[in-house]
Parts: sequence; C-alpha cells; structure tokens
Amino acid sequence: MKVTVKHWHAVAQWRWDTGHDEDSGDGDDVCGICRVAYEGCCPACKIPGDDCPLIWGECSHVFHMHCLLKWISTTASKQQCPMDRRTWVTAERKVAKSSS
Amino acid sequence: MARKDFEMVNRCRRLPVCLEIFLDELRQKFYLVREDVDSFLAQYEVCSKSSVRYFTNVIVFQQSEDPTHISKLIFRLKEWYDAWLPSEELGATIRNAFILSFQTQLYSTLGPAFVKGFKDLIASTLPSSDPEAPEKPPDTAMWVIFETLGFLDRYESIIASAGYEHIEAYVLENCAGQWAEPMMENLRTWMSEKIVPWMLLMYGREATTTDDARVMLANVGSRFDFHMAKTLCDLRTREIFDIIVDYPDSNGALQDLKECLQRVDQRGALVKSLRKANRKRLLHPGADTRLILSQYVSTIKCLRIVDPPGVLLFKVADPIRRYLRERPDTIRCIVSNLVGDEDSGDSLVDESEPIVPLQQPDTEDYTDSNWEPEPIDAGPDFRTNKPSDVISTLVSIYDSKDLFVKELQVLLAQRLLAITDDNEVKVEKERRNIEILKIRFGEAALQVCEVMLKDMTDSKRIDGHVQSQKASIVHPTIISRQFWPMLESSEIVMPGQFQVLQEQYAKEFSTFKPDKRLRWLPHLGTVHLELQLEDRTVKADVPPLEAAFIELFSEKNIWSMDELIAAVGSVDRSAALKALLTWVHKGILREDEQGTFRLLEIAEEASPTREQPRLASTQQEIAPVTSLQQQQAEQMKVYWKFIEGMLTNLGQLPLDRIQTMLKFAPGYDQTIEQLAGFMEAARREGLVTVKDGIWKLTPK
Repeated sequence: MKVTVKHWHAVAQWRWDTGHDEDSGDGDDVCGICRVAYEGCCPACKIPGDDCPLIWGECSHVFHMHCLLKWISTTASKQQCPMDRRTWVTAERKVAKSSS
Repeated sequence: MARKDFEMVNRCRRLPVCLEIFLDELRQKFYLVREDVDSFLAQYEVCSKSSVRYFTNVIVFQQSEDPTHISKLIFRLKEWYDAWLPSEELGATIRNAFILSFQTQLYSTLGPAFVKGFKDLIASTLPSSDPEAPEKPPDTAMWVIFETLGFLDRYESIIASAGYEHIEAYVLENCAGQWAEPMMENLRTWMSEKIVPWMLLMYGREATTTDDARVMLANVGSRFDFHMAKTLCDLRTREIFDIIVDYPDSNGALQDLKECLQRVDQRGALVKSLRKANRKRLLHPGADTRLILSQYVSTIKCLRIVDPPGVLLFKVADPIRRYLRERPDTIRCIVSNLVGDEDSGDSLVDESEPIVPLQQPDTEDYTDSNWEPEPIDAGPDFRTNKPSDVISTLVSIYDSKDLFVKELQVLLAQRLLAITDDNEVKVEKERRNIEILKIRFGEAALQVCEVMLKDMTDSKRIDGHVQSQKASIVHPTIISRQFWPMLESSEIVMPGQFQVLQEQYAKEFSTFKPDKRLRWLPHLGTVHLELQLEDRTVKADVPPLEAAFIELFSEKNIWSMDELIAAVGSVDRSAALKALLTWVHKGILREDEQGTFRLLEIAEEASPTREQPRLASTQQEIAPVTSLQQQQAEQMKVYWKFIEGMLTNLGQLPLDRIQTMLKFAPGYDQTIEQLAGFMEAARREGLVTVKDGIWKLTPK
C-alpha cells in the first residue's frame, strides 16, 4: 500500500527562539521585567508576536523589546541589563544557528 | 255590596278580628299549597335525576335538568295567590297583610330543593350560548309572577349566581385555548347584546325609560363585568405556561391578561400559578437547557407585556435563574446561541433587536425627575430593572461576565480549529460574530478572541509565503498559545513521511521568521489521504492519529495494537481503538484477533466488519479544546495536594474547615458545593473516608 498525503491541515504553536532549550518542559519562560510569558505580550501591547517582539542581550537575557526599551530609557537603569547589571548590549541574532 | 258590608264590619271595630281569622284560615289552608309544591318538586326531582344520569359524561353547561316543572309550579303558586288575594276594594292594608302572610308561609314551605330548581329555571331564561339556537322571546309573564311572589328580592343572589355561572361557562367555552386574538372586546359585545337584555328583566323592571334603566344597571352591570374579567383572568392564569410556550402567537391572550389584571387583583395568583407550572414542567432534569432558556426568554417577553414595571417577571424569573445557575451547560448554551451555532436551533435573540452593550445593574439615579416609586407588590429585593435586552438579562444570571468570555473563547477555538481548508468565508463569519459580541461585552474583554482571529489570517499569510518558497501539502494553523484556551496536550509522534513533512515546513518557517520556531500539535487538524491498494484507491479525510496508523501499515501489513501505540509515542488506548475502527469500518483494516490488525490489500467482499455496528465516524467529533469543567477538574487536582497535607497534619476535618483553609491557597475559587463534589469523588476513589461530616484520609 502506498499512502499519499494530499492535503494536511495541521495545527502548530509558534515559540520564540530564546536560545534556551525550553522544549524539555511546558514551563512558560517569562519576561524578567513584566513577568508575562514571552509568547504573550508586554503590558502596553495587545497583539503578540511580531507586534511585540523580544530583544536578546549579549548577556543571554531576553526581554520583551518594549519592556527593555522602557527600562533603558529611565535614568535609574544606567543602561544596564536589569538582571545582571552589566551594560546592555543587544545581541546579534545568530540566524545561522537557529535555522541550522 | 261587599264594600258596604265591609264598612259595616269596620264600623263595628270587628275588622282586626276578622283579619286575624282570615289569616288564620290562610295558615290552615296553606297545606293545599304545600301539597302542590311537594308534588311538583317530586316530579322535578324524578325528572332531573334521570337526566343527570344521562348527562354526567357530557360537559354541558346548558340545563341538564328540565325546569318546566318548576315553571309550572310557579304558575300554580300564582293561581293560589290570585285565588286568595282579597279584592282590591278592601284597601291596601288588608292586601298587604295578606301578601306578607302568604309570602311568609310560602317561603317556609320552599326548601333547598326548590332553590336548586329555581336556579335551573333562571338559567333556562338566559340566552343560549349557541348562536344558531333560535332566540327565545323573553318570558315576561313569568318575571311578573316572580315579582308578585316576591322572589326577585328574596332570591336575588341566586339569580345573580345563575348569571355568573352562565358567564363563566360562556367564557370557558369560547376563550379556552384561543390566544391569538384579544377576547375582551368580543366578550363585552356579547355581554351587552345578550346578558344586558336579560338583566333588564330582573334589575330594570321598574325602569320606564332607557336612561332610567341605564342608571339602574350601572351598578349591577359593573359587577357582572368584573365577574367576566375575573373568569377570563382565572382561565388565562391557568393557561399561562402554555400561553408563554406559544408566544408570540399568543399575543392576544397576553393583552387580555393585562387588561384583566388591571381590573381584578390576581397578580399573586398569576405568579403562584406560573411558578408552580415552571417547577413542574420546566425546571427538572428532563428539560433541555436550551429549552429552559428559550422558555425563560419567552417568559421575559410575555410578562413585559402583561406587567411593564417587571414585578411579576422578577418574582417568576427568580427560581428559573437560580435553577439555570446550577446547570453546568447554561453558559455554553447561551454562548453558542450568541455566536449563532447552526445546530443550536432557534435563536434566543431576536434578529431585529438592536445590539447594545451589556447593561450593568446601575445604581439608582437620584436626579431622575421621572422617578416613580416601586410598584406596591414589589418585594424587598426587587430591583427596578429597566427593560433591558434579552442578552443582558441572560448574562446577568451569573455574577460576572468573565465566565461567558472564557466560554466564548473555548467555543471560538473549537470552531476555528474545525475549519478544515482555508475557508475565508467561515473565518469572516466568526469575525463578524466577534465584532457584534464586542459591542455587547466590550472591546477589552474580547481582545483574546481578536488575537485568535488574527492568528487565523496570519497563518494564511505565512503559509502563502512558505508555499511560495517551497511548496508543501501541509497548511498549518499557527496559534499564539497564550491566547488560546488550554488545548489537550498529546504525545503523538507522527511517523514516516508525516514527520518529514513537519520538519520541512518548520524549517521553512524558521527561515521566514528567524526568531520563531514551530511546535506541532500533532493530534489536531485533518489529513486528506489517498491510499493506493492493490485493487483500489481510497480517499479519506481523517484526523492525524488515523493518518499516523495507516502510514504505519504501509511499512508492514500486520500490527498489534500495542506495537501501534508504541510507534506513535503514547496515546490513549480507547483513542487508538477508535482510530483503528475508523479504518476497519472503511474496509481497509481488519481485526484478525483481539488487538491485531491486518491491512486488506485486496478488498474482502461481505467482510464481517460490515456487520459491525458503526462505532467510529470518519470525523473526530469530540472537542479538541478542554472544556471549562475539565479545566476546573484539572485545577482541583492541584488543590488535592493541599487537602492531603491538611488531613495528614490535622488528622480529620469537617468540610467547612477544609474550605476555609483552601481559601488561603492562591487562586482558589471553588464553592463549598464544588469542594463537596470533589471530596465525594475522592471518597469513591478510596482516598478519604467520611463519618458524620468529618473527613479523614484512608489509612494506608
């Protein structure tokens, strides 16, 4: 017998590629600033995904972009990552790695 | 000559004595009358008894007894009266003395038997309700005799009650079950055409002009009118439940009821009757929730007509609302009606009703210059609810609208995922629904649904792009998991070419959206397959699990159930069996022995599978989305840990203590009834025991 798939209406969820291997569990990783899941959206947004993207730091910390920009814009932040107090440097996305 | 003698007697002052003697004579001779009365009544009774036997089974309100004997009796009495009446020449005093004495004697003679007969006689004088019956000319002579014998005054109440009964019978016959048109007008016409002439004989006898008569009748007429209204009101009160069922075809009856209630104070009786009917016919486990809801909506509409301020509605609605709150599927029913499920039957909501935002029970406006006090029969907890729309009323059964929004979300998820091909029309329909619901529930509450709809269009866009890069037969719906209700998780691993397809697609997706990855929900969706067997080709639309199994059969022809389950990862045995039976039913697989399936490369004619009952349908019908109750049960499992800890530390606890302590747990929102249900379930599983309301763990 030969099985030919003509059409497959599948269902999938999208996840941010946070660099952490969270496939192991169902645990929702949350943004360290607003404590909302990465796949959710920051308090200012209503629509998740590309409208409320993430920002990756060199220090390996990931936040909702809006959350981090808001933090950085305050004087108290001294341009530091809120998690480790190192100066915030936005990481170049290693596209090659994630698509490999 | 007689007059001369009479004057002589009078002059001799013997007249009083004579009168005494005359009256004494009258009393002694009265046995003659009595005999007559007895004989007529005896005849009447014999006659009526035989006729009663005839008519008991027939609902005849007309005379079942023949009152002719009574009529004859009346005329006979008149004869006696005339025979003994002193001549007019003797003056009024003597005549009056005679009349008084005669009537006294007569009344003492006439017993209850006569009263009954008399009533029949009166009833026979009433106009027949049958319009075909020839009009009887009023028997004026008889009424004159009644007057002469003083019956009209003495038996007034009997005459009136005969009239009342006639009206009742007429109303019952003509109005019962006739709800389309208002009957009040017709009844009034009938009254003035038929009953008023009859009343004239009795009450208007002294009238000389029509104006006179009108004045005389005014009082008694309104009494009869009241009685008519009361009868109609009683009838409609008894019928109210069915009237509501028939709404809007029963509009006329409701108008009648409204008019009657203004005249007759029967509001309490109406509420009582309707509540009783509801309890007996509506609020029981046998009734479908949808039915209860639609009856409730009709009740709202009907009672608004009858009583615009809503006091009656409030009193009647309360038990219905309380009952609905206890039904588990009420919300689901309301919501599916809101989104216009095709299979939910009649829409509760009137299409013509304007869509308005939900009304919150607003606080009283103290500056309202049109303020009116609450109606007099309003209870203490009556809230003047302004005529709000049906949906607001339904939603207000529950304390918060959050439950509806959640259920709406679940329902929307089910419907969106059920859309198999990229059916833009269906998505558009859902979008329209949500837009309408936004007006009702507010923009913010339905934000989540908005994201779900956006996911649908985004998926299509992404799919378009991915297909343009590398064509694939996979067309996924990609969802934002934070915004969809909890979906059943599944551990299925799609075998063979399916996995390849998934990986290819996921790779293309990641190229398109470098920051994102796909995680498949393999158990959801549908697959359109073509199976090429040796002698035939079979096309099928199946859920993924079925597809996975048949893919495995392309590797080898015989699989045992356990092997199959292991090959797709872990899957529920019953789900696996169901999936396999789908293929068995299609004649592709065959169960050789318990738990072993063989592929039929060549179709078996008249295979025994044909005779198997249709166990599985081709489409997965169960909802892939966890329902609200399942979610709750899921939650309770977490709290079980707390309960277990509590009972271990404290030994034994009553239910309310457990509830109080659980309240400290974060997010605990169950009622004590729900907790009781849960504990009961735990007891059935043998985890806990209960004695005198004290719970403790079953010793291990």
